[in-house]
Amino acid sequence: MNRREFIISSAIAGGGLMLSFHPAAGKGITALGLEGQSVLGDFVKITSNGDVLFQFVKHEMGQGISTSMAQIFADELCADWDKVSIEFPDADMKKYQNERNGGHDTGGSCTIIYQWDMLRKAGAAARQMLIAAAAKRWKTSPLNCHAENHYVINKNSSQRLGFGELADAAAREKVPESVSLKDPLNFQVIGKPKIAKLIPLMVTGNLQYGLDVNIPGMLYAVIARCPVFKGKLKNFEASESLKVKGVIKVFSTQPIAGLQPHAPYMPYDIREGVVVVADSFWAAKKGQDALKIDWDEGVNEKLSSTNFERLAEQRAMHKTDPTGYIGDENAVADLEHVRKTLRASYVFPHQLHSCMEPLNCTAHVQPGGCEVWVGTQAPHLIVSELKRVFGFSEEQIKIHLFPSGGGFGRRYYPDMAVEAAFISREMGNLPVKMIWTREDDHAANLAHLFQHLEYQVALDKDNNIYAWYEKELRTYTWAAKYADPQLPFMAYDIPNIRFDFEDLIQDELVHSSAWRGVVGHGRFFSECFIDEIAAELKKDPYEFRLSLLKEGRDVFVGDIYPVSSSRIISVLKLAAGKAGWGKKLQEGQGLGVAVCPYGNSYCAVVADVNVRGGKLTINKITIAVDCGKVINPSGASNQLVGGIVWSLTALLYGGYPIKNGRAVHTNFHENKLLRMKECPPMEVHFTENKDERPWGIGEISSPLGVPAVLNAIFAASGKRIRRVPLALDALST
Amino acid sequence: MATIRLIVNEKNYTVDADPQMPLLWAIRDFIGLTGTKYGCGVAQCGACTVHLDGKAIRSCSVSTSAVENKRITTIEGLSSDGSHPLQLAWQEEDVPQCGYCQTGQIMNAAALLAEHPSPTDDEITKSMNGNLCRCGTYQRIHRAIKKSILIKAQTLR
Repeated sequence: MNRREFIISSAIAGGGLMLSFHPAAGKGITALGLEGQSVLGDFVKITSNGDVLFQFVKHEMGQGISTSMAQIFADELCADWDKVSIEFPDADMKKYQNERNGGHDTGGSCTIIYQWDMLRKAGAAARQMLIAAAAKRWKTSPLNCHAENHYVINKNSSQRLGFGELADAAAREKVPESVSLKDPLNFQVIGKPKIAKLIPLMVTGNLQYGLDVNIPGMLYAVIARCPVFKGKLKNFEASESLKVKGVIKVFSTQPIAGLQPHAPYMPYDIREGVVVVADSFWAAKKGQDALKIDWDEGVNEKLSSTNFERLAEQRAMHKTDPTGYIGDENAVADLEHVRKTLRASYVFPHQLHSCMEPLNCTAHVQPGGCEVWVGTQAPHLIVSELKRVFGFSEEQIKIHLFPSGGGFGRRYYPDMAVEAAFISREMGNLPVKMIWTREDDHAANLAHLFQHLEYQVALDKDNNIYAWYEKELRTYTWAAKYADPQLPFMAYDIPNIRFDFEDLIQDELVHSSAWRGVVGHGRFFSECFIDEIAAELKKDPYEFRLSLLKEGRDVFVGDIYPVSSSRIISVLKLAAGKAGWGKKLQEGQGLGVAVCPYGNSYCAVVADVNVRGGKLTINKITIAVDCGKVINPSGASNQLVGGIVWSLTALLYGGYPIKNGRAVHTNFHENKLLRMKECPPMEVHFTENKDERPWGIGEISSPLGVPAVLNAIFAASGKRIRRVPLALDALST
Repeated sequence: MATIRLIVNEKNYTVDADPQMPLLWAIRDFIGLTGTKYGCGVAQCGACTVHLDGKAIRSCSVSTSAVENKRITTIEGLSSDGSHPLQLAWQEEDVPQCGYCQTGQIMNAAALLAEHPSPTDDEITKSMNGNLCRCGTYQRIHRAIKKSILIKAQTLR
């Protein structure tokens, strides 16, 4: 860390300590005048009765980070875990939005990575201030005191003072200029399985999500959005809607609609539509059903997913320049060295996020500003878009943050707040809750990006891999040209490697977005292609991988972190060992393995399947992970298992088929998600490692269920499947 | 519009609404109990599960007028203090991730256990198969249902 940190404390109303961290830029980075603005975050309130209220400034959407962040803080504080609870403060750009420290937003499996150092220091600083206050009370040196389980203890006299008793005095203490962190050997809470703090509220129905907000005088809104991407509203007839009792007003959302390709950080789409506002959700929905709308369906009117996939196939054959290469960029075609080439294309189609809590936002626009109630992964984007679209200043925007019933990337985009604020303004500044029905979610939502992967490999006369060619075609790049590592995401030791990239953004039939695991889903089809090569060479897929990995070799592929061969080897060996790789299998049974880096974590998955009579049964999934220090083994295990369920849905059902511009699936009876009956037994194993810091966990297993199971299907049946979802007849005959 | 009398968690309510409006919205938007969740509106996900005379129903697909004067229980009425064996087991097994579907899961499981106090593994899976969880907590849900049976036995002892 090359920055100094300033900590500011203040007493809170009713007594107690409020601690803030104010980091300032390192020398030469930021002008002094900006120092006061780069406030990082307020982490804790300690009340005079000893309650530690952890101020959670990220987004809880099921990843468990509100608990694991609190664990890090509470451990350094030496707090009694039972006295720690989670609070959701309102969004505050000045306090919380700080790019260098991970910001206010939540995504990319980054939260714990970036919060680790900061939360430890904040917890330690608070601990030292409590100790200093106690030492003063006892007229002794802080060196004679230590903190333990919510008390400060005087070593000489054995006197004890509780954190609650000390909080008020501690708030008046000078903030320490440097803090001493705990020896990790003394961690009491970090590394221990802890039940998520919000569960008591969840199991009683008392946890409030965005959809549960109730503002006095609030109206309800539902929007009929154009069912065809890039289509426009021609005209609409609202008379039948207005006859529905409770419907108050019907109007077009055209003024805010359109692609936002140059939004500050993330492109997103608001489709043109017609909004129905009513005094209840039910009346609004009935009003929506009664609308008669003429759409100009535009360029996508006659197009279907099959057209789009064919286009991707054609473009895959286009000659492009490599985004990066190792060795000779044209080595695949080097006839002098190459004995045989193999080629394969893989497709990972669009997917819906299907967050169990449908998208929603409540907004109240008034002349002096805008208040928003929402579960969001990116409050800063809501602020910047409300500023841009409605002309508010940052100070005029107040965002109340809630946990979400799933986010998975979809709740990173700010469109719901723009829609809700627009409706509130058009209703004469009344508070309005805007809800996407589940049918709306299927008809007109952002979707997971589409990927087509084109692979070639060249084998030399000794059957060594001489060259690897990989071309990715994708519909989403965060508005950057490649937004990507420059090389394949792997550590296999191959002398010539080339990676090409082409985007399909202009031609797509839905608006693409980030979806748990993001580009990993397509990129780790490389784990299937490696399997194809092993099969060609009649080698065991697991041993073949090991033969291509060199212990100690780090490979830079363009990401922040290099891909570590050693860590890949270690998770591979752990997963294979636990899954009994090499055990005797029955007729029709097969094991498949896949491994990947994600951020700076590593994961290997072994799938054990049967393919009999054209039917797939997944007997077991074994997951091995190296994510550095594990903060909460129970929560981390939940994430890894959840990621596999995520990918098995994509494998067995998934996809977002479009026909004549429109979504084919209308609700969960057509867009099926994995259910308990199909959920295989799973086992999670963490590598033993001495890494002192944690890395991300939320997405790492999600891209691996598909390649591991596809490889297992090949092992069991000899059928090589190169796209998801599995066609119904994919395994028969 | 009609005036409909509902009995929810042993309290009487009068709701002035479209008789065809699903019970879910009466519970959430009119009575103000938001522990019952909207997920799909077509009885495919189970997030809206409540009890009607002790049996699990999908409140999104039952009209409000059809349940007039019948005994409805929502998650808020399952126990007064979160001490139902399922609620305790859900905590012990650290089941929920986002938590959104879990009230429906618990209400579905509670109806199962009321009818079959010791279900087999397959009976649990079959009974819970109608409840979706996008976070993928199925393994732990299954485990927690079994654990709740032990918790109940201990509290009765």
